[in-house]
Amino acid sequence: MADDQAGVNRREFVKLAAGGAVAVAAGLSSADGVVEAQRRTAPGPDAAERDLALLALDAARSAGAVYADARVIRVLSESINTRERQITNVTKSESYGIGVRAFVGGSWGFAATSALTRDAVATAARDAVAIARANDRVAPSATRLAPVPKVPDGRWITPHVLDPFAVALESKAQLLFRINEEALKVKGVRFVTSSADALKESRLLATTDGSLIQQTFIRVSPNINVTAVAADNSDSQTRSGSEGPMGAGWEYVTGLELPARATRYASEAVAKLSAPAVEPGAYDLVLHPSHLWLTVHESIAHPSELDRALGYEANYAGTTFLAPPEKVLGKFRLGQSLMTFVANRTEAGGNATVGWDDEGVPATSYPIVDKGLFVSYQSATREMIDAVAPLSSYKKAPGHAYGQSWASIPFPRMPNVSLQPAARNISEEEVLAATDRGIFIEGDGSYSIDQQRYNFQFGGQTFWEVRKGKKTRMLRDVAYVARTPDFWNSMAMIGGRETYQLGGALSDAKGQPMQLNSVSHGCPVALFRNVTVIRTA
Amino acid sequence: MPPKGLSRDEMKSLTDRVLSYAMADQTRVNVSSGVSAFTRTAMNRVTTSGSTTDVVVRITSAFGRRVAAIETNRLDAASLEKAVRDTEALARLSPENPEYLPEPGPQAYRDVGGYYASTGDLTTEDRGRAASLVLERSKAARTVAAGYIDVSAGSRAIANSNGLFAYHAATSVASTLTVRTPDGSSSGWAGDEGADWTTIESDRIAADALAKCEAWRGKTALEPGTYETVLEPTAVGMLMSRIMGAFDARSADEGRSYFSKRGGGTLLGEKVFDERVTITSDPGFANGETAPFTGSGEPTGPDTWVENGVLRNLFYSRYWAQRQKVASKPGMANFVMQGTDASLDDLIASVKRGVLISRFWYIRALNPRALTLTGLTRDGTFLIENGRISRPITNFRFNQSMGDLLKSVEMAGRPTRVCASENSSAGPPVIVPPLKVRAFNLASVSDAI
Repeated sequence: MADDQAGVNRREFVKLAAGGAVAVAAGLSSADGVVEAQRRTAPGPDAAERDLALLALDAARSAGAVYADARVIRVLSESINTRERQITNVTKSESYGIGVRAFVGGSWGFAATSALTRDAVATAARDAVAIARANDRVAPSATRLAPVPKVPDGRWITPHVLDPFAVALESKAQLLFRINEEALKVKGVRFVTSSADALKESRLLATTDGSLIQQTFIRVSPNINVTAVAADNSDSQTRSGSEGPMGAGWEYVTGLELPARATRYASEAVAKLSAPAVEPGAYDLVLHPSHLWLTVHESIAHPSELDRALGYEANYAGTTFLAPPEKVLGKFRLGQSLMTFVANRTEAGGNATVGWDDEGVPATSYPIVDKGLFVSYQSATREMIDAVAPLSSYKKAPGHAYGQSWASIPFPRMPNVSLQPAARNISEEEVLAATDRGIFIEGDGSYSIDQQRYNFQFGGQTFWEVRKGKKTRMLRDVAYVARTPDFWNSMAMIGGRETYQLGGALSDAKGQPMQLNSVSHGCPVALFRNVTVIRTA
Repeated sequence: MPPKGLSRDEMKSLTDRVLSYAMADQTRVNVSSGVSAFTRTAMNRVTTSGSTTDVVVRITSAFGRRVAAIETNRLDAASLEKAVRDTEALARLSPENPEYLPEPGPQAYRDVGGYYASTGDLTTEDRGRAASLVLERSKAARTVAAGYIDVSAGSRAIANSNGLFAYHAATSVASTLTVRTPDGSSSGWAGDEGADWTTIESDRIAADALAKCEAWRGKTALEPGTYETVLEPTAVGMLMSRIMGAFDARSADEGRSYFSKRGGGTLLGEKVFDERVTITSDPGFANGETAPFTGSGEPTGPDTWVENGVLRNLFYSRYWAQRQKVASKPGMANFVMQGTDASLDDLIASVKRGVLISRFWYIRALNPRALTLTGLTRDGTFLIENGRISRPITNFRFNQSMGDLLKSVEMAGRPTRVCASENSSAGPPVIVPPLKVRAFNLASVSDAI
């Protein structure tokens, strides 16, 4: 069986992935460790794709672009969905095309096509220039692009052991059916769905600066949902699994021991039906990383995006309470001294981990919150460096440009943003022991936050009452509400490296047209004092 | 200019070609084609603009009840033939799906229109002119504008090995604008959505967003609580677009929906909302057209979902309909809520003390059984006293059951198509009136602007 085979491979994967972890732990400012580890196996560019990309750059330059980049992207994805004892969907998809971005005066133009003929590609390049020129005419802009070093032969591939597209469909389906079977064995469970998604993306970037970079990204994402329904149909409760997507191969999925997890999720869904609803009030919260990653994503990672602070996202994602830059950088206290957040595109397994970004800038890793103090924005691209260079550590672009596909224009996107664990190896039990009257929350649930990232309300998957340092009974209908700076300043204790894990999403939405980004957030278990808890039903 | 996307003849020859390679028991081809283009502004300038052309072919093959699908945008003959072979190989490998039903045969469809040359022929310069007009007004008012014009034009088709062929061409456009004061102390929003560019009033959008930003200056606190509330059409649309999926018979029968009946079954035929609530859908609704068929080629027609508060219909998939021994019914393609001739001002005038909400942000489901949503107000929230707006107030988070909301409707105004998506792309058409409701739960204050 594929999962037994990969159980062995998991150790190998951990060894391989450690290359990235070493780079981060050593405080290297680039992904040198990961890049070096992967350089030998990473494929180089396809000759035909390279010719088309260079043709696009020539056409754009001839049409008057002062800068242009071309991205030839081929995305393979696969989705297998099941419900109880049946398959509900098996889909593979392939999307292939070229996107050309041209800079004229101070304006951008973008054109993309799935027709990969020489004529169509040259036309797209000229269209990109024409669009940039038209914009520069109606509304001139003084934007300038920060310089980046040339990368003439960049190669990178996601560290992985087992290419998910090399694993047979039957063995994937078998694993999903075993998951469902284990869940259905639990009395009271009526519905279970499970799925496995995989993605493999080849991304060739060519720029008029002379960079040519070929990268291959691999991501996998398993999902489980178990629903229990009350005997008289008066209530239903669902437990969704907490396995995040990962920048990894199929070995990640098989290493999770999902059938055993399904049994636990099933009993928790049933237990939720008869669990007492929470009594609203102030509680200490012990947040497991399977839950906390999403709170980090929404209330730390989004508000520290530089484009939001500058106003780029005002019409959709919004602005941020961390603004204006001159009033908050190096001055705003977001938490106590135990709190350090690192922005990176280098973390092993991270969904946003890459060799270079879509402007050819090498991946970096740097603190954005240092011992509680807000010290740097993230998500900057080449055009934004001028705006903050006098205020921040940015003297060059940190590598955060990303376009979802060939069809989408690169723009500032969030890197992995991770809460660093305590130096001492504090266990989950120790953190619970420090809690007199609290709630322990696992898994991400309903989440909502305002457009400046002040007021948030988060649910979860399971809620356990904590009394005198011990988990006692299950509660239900829990959500906590807080104002972001108050919440993070109430963080009183964090776990050590052993409690640290990555959570993440493949579908972080931002931009107009809306694009999805893949991102991870690592965190240890953490304790927050005196947070307002409401009852959601 | 020729219409964007493949013509009916091009679609027919593409789908015929794909079907000619097919060797499965059943094969279906879904094709979408066209151009999407945009112009985006922020900080009173154009930030990005672009255009994407694509054709996506989805092939679904079935051997008995073994089914799989492959999607590709590589259209040369060799790639298409390989995609068909791969789909068939994948289907043979797939475990049986006991719910699979054979593809339907040829169907008759209404000609509903939906492709407007005014939208399909829009150029970068046209979008740029509309955007710069707004930017100029914002600069003159010493505010900071961020806006988005989203345009799609194209066609889709479905064909299957039982002779079914369906084709529909459509356009859509959404134009939205946020205007903020330079110090970030106030924000106003306005937007339009339609199929026809001539219905997008750029001038009025600019005026409305500026007026809202001006009116919301100097907002002050209001205690959280339950208030009589007037919801502008955009606010209503953002909530209602979240409940379209709830009208599903299967989840109701399975005991996990608002429309589940205690003890089993659904609430069909029962009074579920206030009698002022009537919800319909119609693929031919002018400037809110949708394809007159579903993704599997079933014809869609005008339907009544809720009539004077009584639940009249639920969506039955072909499989679920067969199991429940009823006729199948496709889900709602657009959402049309009936109203009256009353204006927004008429609704405001009827409120003694309450709240006016312009729009929402970050709406998420809390509990599907109670149809409870959470989210936040955004870009203009006001206190109403004695029939008039008395002062601007802070934003709030709400936690509110949509069932309770629709039970507490007291007045509905004039319906209009709104931009109901939070990301301001044109989505499934939502045509709704402003509503006055007895009770809306503003749960906590948000400092966001």
